[in-house]
Amino acid sequence: MSAGVSRTLALRIGVLTLIVVFFQIGVVSEVPVFGVNAELCALLVAFVGLLCGSITGAVVGFAVGLFIDLALLQTLGLTSLIFTLIGYWCGRLRELRDPQAGLTPLLVGVSASALALVGYSLMEFMLGVDAPVSFQLLRVIVLGVVVNTIFALPMYALTRRALEGAMPEDPRRRRRRAYTTGGLSPLSKA
Amino acid sequence: MHDKTVRRRRALLGLLVVLSLLLLTAYFGEAPNGRLHSVQRDFLTVVSPIQDGANKALKPVRDLFSWFGNTLHAKSQLAQALKQTEKLRRELVAEQTEKRSYHELLALSHLDQLGVGSYRPVDATVIGKNPNVWYSTVVIDKGESAGVQRNDPVINEEGLVGKVVQAASDGALVELLTNSSMGVSARIGTSHATGLVQPKVGDPNDLLLGYLPSNTQANPGEWVVTSGTVTPGYPSLFPPGLLIGQVTSVNEESAYKSVNVHPVANLHDLDIVQVLTAAAGSRAANLSQLTVNLQAGQAASSAGAGNGEQLASTQVGG
Repeated sequence: MSAGVSRTLALRIGVLTLIVVFFQIGVVSEVPVFGVNAELCALLVAFVGLLCGSITGAVVGFAVGLFIDLALLQTLGLTSLIFTLIGYWCGRLRELRDPQAGLTPLLVGVSASALALVGYSLMEFMLGVDAPVSFQLLRVIVLGVVVNTIFALPMYALTRRALEGAMPEDPRRRRRRAYTTGGLSPLSKA
Repeated sequence: MHDKTVRRRRALLGLLVVLSLLLLTAYFGEAPNGRLHSVQRDFLTVVSPIQDGANKALKPVRDLFSWFGNTLHAKSQLAQALKQTEKLRRELVAEQTEKRSYHELLALSHLDQLGVGSYRPVDATVIGKNPNVWYSTVVIDKGESAGVQRNDPVINEEGLVGKVVQAASDGALVELLTNSSMGVSARIGTSHATGLVQPKVGDPNDLLLGYLPSNTQANPGEWVVTSGTVTPGYPSLFPPGLLIGQVTSVNEESAYKSVNVHPVANLHDLDIVQVLTAAAGSRAANLSQLTVNLQAGQAASSAGAGNGEQLASTQVGG
């Protein structure tokens, strides 16, 4: 984890992860919406990456994926691989673009869900599930993304609220301060 | 400083990806009693009480959400159920007469088919569900300590659900009928012809009863049940007569006939299930043990693909 990630943040992420994973396994997986289940864990990993950066995102993604694979007796490494990439990608988005628009969490949630569902399907195909790409499968993936979109904003608010005060510094604020102190200002180089 | 951060970030990502791929490769390649599988079972033993507690605590929330969905479905199901009750009442009268003849014939022929009576049912609660698009496995709160073994059939009040594929001390993994590796020998209620029920390719929520002789009579609405052991050389793990689903359509495009089957058990909403465990020394237990041994032998020599059709059909064919 990055140096900026404090012990408090790690603790909060750990507790939040456990709550979300058990809620996913115990409730969300049992209650289909439009015939599919929401994937809160993928959203959690994406938002932790978006709020805390790529390294934290990747580590949390790996840990959450491994926990799910162990708890559900699934193929070990499958979910952790996909979640690691989601967490890293969302973290890089924050570090490179630092999007501030209000709809950013929604778009990140949609992308992360699509990546999780398509990635999971592709991996399952590669591991030998005897099912070609069909309309039914595409329907399930599209509906899964739609359902996750509904949960994206509340999930982002929950993640932000849980990690508030312990998150690493906002990159935009950091840049602004650097200008005011002359650190990165082009004028200071003159 | 910046370069160092970039290098560290990339190294960590590479490490996690490689670790995931190593886990994936090792897990996929090892036998079901391998080291990673046993770590997974141990983890489940530790986590299952927490999962069970969380499951019970969150049941009201789950019920609340389910209530809305169930209410919407109930109205449409009522008319269908009334019509079906009338049909079943007529069938019951005919069946009772046939049943008497059947028992007389069994006694005359000294036939001894492995039935549900040979099993000891164990009630279990579903504490975890695979959230992927195939809905292929669930985790239950009963394991080896309750007598649950690999390959034990799993049912609920509606019909056949699947079979146990891994058992830890206080939990077990159940492979559902819709799992791509499942296969159950079955027959259409009124017919003597048997086939193999497998998930329908391209539609993970539907089943296909295939390999039926081309002259098999099949009509939409007929029930599909497990056939049990038909040929002694190819024993079935499932006792005969367990309800699997209802025929929705008939396909006749190949030399064999196949029918689409809608599973009666609602595999999306499993809560309580029953594991048909085999009493030690019974025929069911011996059969289950035989299958485990065959699968272990198959995994050990999986490098040589020519393992014989019998092993493959035993593993898939259930």
